[in-house]
Amino acid sequence: MIRQLLYGGVLALACVAQTLEAQTTYNSHAQLSGRLKNLSTKFNALASVSSIGKSAGGRDLWLLTLGKGDATKKPAILIVAGLDGTHLAGSELAIQTAEKMLGAANADSVAKLLETKTFYFLPSMNPDAQEQFSAKLKYERTTNDSKTDDDRDGRVDEDPFEDLNGDGVVSWIRVEDAAGTYVASKEDPRILVKADPSKGESGKYLVYTEGIDNDKDGVYNEDGAGGVNPEKNFTFDYQIFTTGSGEHAASEPEVRALLDFLYRAPNIFAVLTFGPNNNLSEAPRFDAAKVARRILTGPLAKDAKAMEQVSKLYNGRTALKDAPTMPQTRGNFSQTAYYHAGRYSFTTPGWWTPKVEAPRDTTRRAAATAPTTPSPTAPAATGGPAGGGRMGGGGAAAATSTANASEDDARFLKWADKEKLTGVYVDWKTIQHPDFPGQKVEVGGIVPFSKLNPPVSYLTAVADKHVKFLTGLGAQMPEIQLVNVKTESLGNGLTRITATVINKGLMPTYAEIGDRVRFVQKVKTELKLGAGQAIVSGKRLNLRAALASDESEEYTWLVSGTGKLTIETGCPTAGVKSADVTLK
Amino acid sequence: MKKHIHSFIYALVCCTLAVNAFAQTAPQTDPDLNGMRAIGTPANPKVKWGWNYYMDYAGFNKLMQELAKAYPDLVKYESIGKSFQGREMYVITVTDFKSGKPENKPAFWIDGNIHANELQGTQFAMYTAWYLAESFGKMDFVTDMLKGRTFYILPSLNPDAHENFIYKSNTTSSSRSGMMPLDDDGDGLVDEDTYDDLDGDGNIVTMRRKSPTGRYKVDPDFPGRMILAKPDEQGEYEMLGFEGIDNDGDGRVNEDNPGAYDPNRDWGWGWQPDYIQGGALFYPGTLPETKNVKKFFYSHPNIAGAQSYHNFGGMFLRPPGAEEDAMYVPQSDIAVYDVIGKTGEKMIPGYKYYVLWKDLYTVYGGEIDWIGLGRGVFMFSNEINTSWRMFNKNSTENRNQNSEFEEFDKFLLLGDGYVKWKPIKHPQYGDIEIGGTKRNYIRNTPGFLLEEEGHRNMAFTMLHAYHMPKLEIIDIKTKALANGLTEVTAVVQNQRAIPTHSAHDLRFKIERPDYITLKNAQVLAGMIVENEDLGITREQKYNPQTIEVANIAGTVGGGGGGGGFGGFGGGGNSVKVRWIVKGKADKWTVEVDSRKGGIVSKTL
Repeated sequence: MIRQLLYGGVLALACVAQTLEAQTTYNSHAQLSGRLKNLSTKFNALASVSSIGKSAGGRDLWLLTLGKGDATKKPAILIVAGLDGTHLAGSELAIQTAEKMLGAANADSVAKLLETKTFYFLPSMNPDAQEQFSAKLKYERTTNDSKTDDDRDGRVDEDPFEDLNGDGVVSWIRVEDAAGTYVASKEDPRILVKADPSKGESGKYLVYTEGIDNDKDGVYNEDGAGGVNPEKNFTFDYQIFTTGSGEHAASEPEVRALLDFLYRAPNIFAVLTFGPNNNLSEAPRFDAAKVARRILTGPLAKDAKAMEQVSKLYNGRTALKDAPTMPQTRGNFSQTAYYHAGRYSFTTPGWWTPKVEAPRDTTRRAAATAPTTPSPTAPAATGGPAGGGRMGGGGAAAATSTANASEDDARFLKWADKEKLTGVYVDWKTIQHPDFPGQKVEVGGIVPFSKLNPPVSYLTAVADKHVKFLTGLGAQMPEIQLVNVKTESLGNGLTRITATVINKGLMPTYAEIGDRVRFVQKVKTELKLGAGQAIVSGKRLNLRAALASDESEEYTWLVSGTGKLTIETGCPTAGVKSADVTLK
Repeated sequence: MKKHIHSFIYALVCCTLAVNAFAQTAPQTDPDLNGMRAIGTPANPKVKWGWNYYMDYAGFNKLMQELAKAYPDLVKYESIGKSFQGREMYVITVTDFKSGKPENKPAFWIDGNIHANELQGTQFAMYTAWYLAESFGKMDFVTDMLKGRTFYILPSLNPDAHENFIYKSNTTSSSRSGMMPLDDDGDGLVDEDTYDDLDGDGNIVTMRRKSPTGRYKVDPDFPGRMILAKPDEQGEYEMLGFEGIDNDGDGRVNEDNPGAYDPNRDWGWGWQPDYIQGGALFYPGTLPETKNVKKFFYSHPNIAGAQSYHNFGGMFLRPPGAEEDAMYVPQSDIAVYDVIGKTGEKMIPGYKYYVLWKDLYTVYGGEIDWIGLGRGVFMFSNEINTSWRMFNKNSTENRNQNSEFEEFDKFLLLGDGYVKWKPIKHPQYGDIEIGGTKRNYIRNTPGFLLEEEGHRNMAFTMLHAYHMPKLEIIDIKTKALANGLTEVTAVVQNQRAIPTHSAHDLRFKIERPDYITLKNAQVLAGMIVENEDLGITREQKYNPQTIEVANIAGTVGGGGGGGGFGGFGGGGNSVKVRWIVKGKADKWTVEVDSRKGGIVSKTL
């Protein structure tokens, strides 16, 4: 089967080679739109493209639907990408995954999946922010085109970035200043770290994002173009009054469009988000204390078990190693899809900086695989001095999200050196800065986007691995069957009917949390009577909680009358089966 | 009796005529009024309206149209969007349009009827619009109010279900939801098993059946009421729930009614899903009705006070709705709430000033929190009507033991409150009887009390609106400095209890600072004077012509002042700012531009 899959993958590559040929960098929204449309034209029996809404900036939020027949009638997996506007690799991975699946549509395993399941792709859910990658001035942007007064001073977008060295990208400025708190890292002098007095270090530089303090509030570039970050605007664990989180949960059109789609698609069994959060290489663990309260903060017991199973599948199928921890972030989609919409929800960046072994120094190993969450020693982002925003922290530089921990930077530069990548680092160069007359100010640092988004060519192999994961997950999905259907005539037109409903898939019919969520449809077993028939005992319509793998329930009815009747059972996430019975 | 009244009026008219004949200077009564104006009420209004019944959608729209026609300089209305079923939602703006733009005055928001069976909110919102328009120019308080303040009034936040409650069959509590169809019972069908009005009288009452196994009997004192038989008694009846049929044959009755969600769990603060907070939908703002209101709030940042009417229970509810949010209503904000809430307890006997989560119950995603905490606006929600009002006292027994409503029905409503038991054939239960509370009793105020309760609630919103910030530039001083420079110092005072920014607002910078600008002058430097006597000032380097003050505190609470960090420029409820200007004073104008305090200016 794996061989077939690989073969399919090769076919897929051949099929889409034409479109990929010219692609040396990430798509703009226009390019991505064209690419999706071409795909749906080329594979019109298996793929269709529609829009589920528009971004704040009026860009279509494209939905690519894969599968044969009526998509809404089959259990589905939803793949979402690009919610974090700096993560173009996720969008590219999502599209390549779809392309490869379509390319392999003739291979048995994929053909069967496309026959029995639906795959929904939403590859670019924050197109306004992603467009900054293709813009004249390139900077890591997470926010859509909503107009917001990020620092709440009554002025909108008055303190944007400025390209001080004219290279078209926003990097960093460092100012030699007696009040500085940063020094060059001993490990890699290209990186700035907070001076550590315990190591005898004393600060040399002030560090800011590249730009001018236009509104003279002492904070740099805290109120640029846009907007709200959709990935902070979902309903679970929503953080109030934080830069980029919006006026209230679900205030943004991207967020509402996605939630409307998800809540109104009861056939979606699981969600996979490509983004800078990771719950796949290591599944979240069950913690009784986290589910004891009215508001849940951890997965339910059965769900934690299922997540463990999927994590194993992921690690096995993709053979990816050294994944960064990247914990879930507040108000993001992935957690909302589980805790609020009641679906299994998985997330991975897909690609991350590979670990480069440093054979001479074995003590570095631990550090290289250590969690790469933002470090307070980083010269920017969440903890650094550059941010602005309402609470005086975060700010536009938060766009770099997890990308600024110094360890993270060191790991990245080491890998980039090994791969001989160019254009990922700007050497420090002296400039004149109006806010610091007479001081030495330099522009430089790691180029935006580069840490989360490798050259596109690196993603082909990664996409292959994720096709394997998705087809594997598809094969494990629940499958309701109706078995042991029996009738016993009790005489005088009275018949006893028994039937067993069983889940023959490898996962539960839906996440355990779905049993709490009103909008997740439960397992329904119904008797559809013919003319002149009546139920003497038993309920016409039975609802029950999720069925685990191989779990079953027997139903029995006494029915009077003759002729045909139908037993129907199932739920949208596990399929619907029926059997006809003839009463004598 | 009637004859007696006639002669009384006759005497009154004669008397009036006689007085007029003697002295032309005597106070004039309204020429069309055959009698004397009762104090506190517009007599002989331009728009004549009755206040002892509940208006339907067409009715309250007609009233707002007539008011706008009769008082074009005081009343306008605009649609803020459509409801789920496509009804226009009109917000009425009441203000003196001749004295300043409505958006430049502090504004008070009133809505009602988000729970559609709670009709008083619509009624009282409309009463307020009518009362203000009819009293302008006649009562100084109202005249001042409309010159300096704006009222935005949305009579029904849930117009679809408002019509459903009035024109379709309901219980006293149904039609609380909106009308968006939802599957309540998980069978994949929507709204397929609703109440069934078996006798077609518009009231969904209860069903009972004589049964040897039943545990209920007729209350001997009030035969309309069913009570549990005593432990040593046989029962006579079994109770079969609200009037209805198992329409979809699933063995359950009335389990999938229209909608069945709660529009007041659809707001953007502390929102939680349905399994935590019953009635919630997909996310805050799933419904067009709540979305329309939110949009209006964001485009009207001058809203500085708000009231959302509900029933039942006689309460002035203030935020927060959940215990974990108690920290977002700090002491200085509570002090402001106390001024209004405690006075309210005097104004409406029987009503209590309550904190929502603590004294009533926990609400996640409620409007009260979104306005109060999401927007930082001082917000009350009045729970109209209380059983106290029936006999001006509270029963010491709980509802199952006391007979307040039955006695009130018997003595004051003369039996109008209940549907008497009557036999009917039920397709599933056979011979049963139906009877019980009419849908417009219990929660909704009886007609003869309605105008009074409306007026008292309106008066409470007047107190609340009165305390919105009122800014005045109380002093401007100039002083000549060396080298042809002039120092200009201005003091701006807030003369009411509500600050321009609540302490919660200040903490999270919800609204932008207040701007104090010296116009027509060449400003070289500007500063906030934190303490004149000790010579403490704080310079503003960027754009000094417009000094930005974080807040202008009110007369209570002692919240953070303009200087921030606990320091004020000039005193508890004022700020002092200073400019260094080139040249001599000449037509310089100080303008204060506050989102919630309005725009005021003074020229030297």
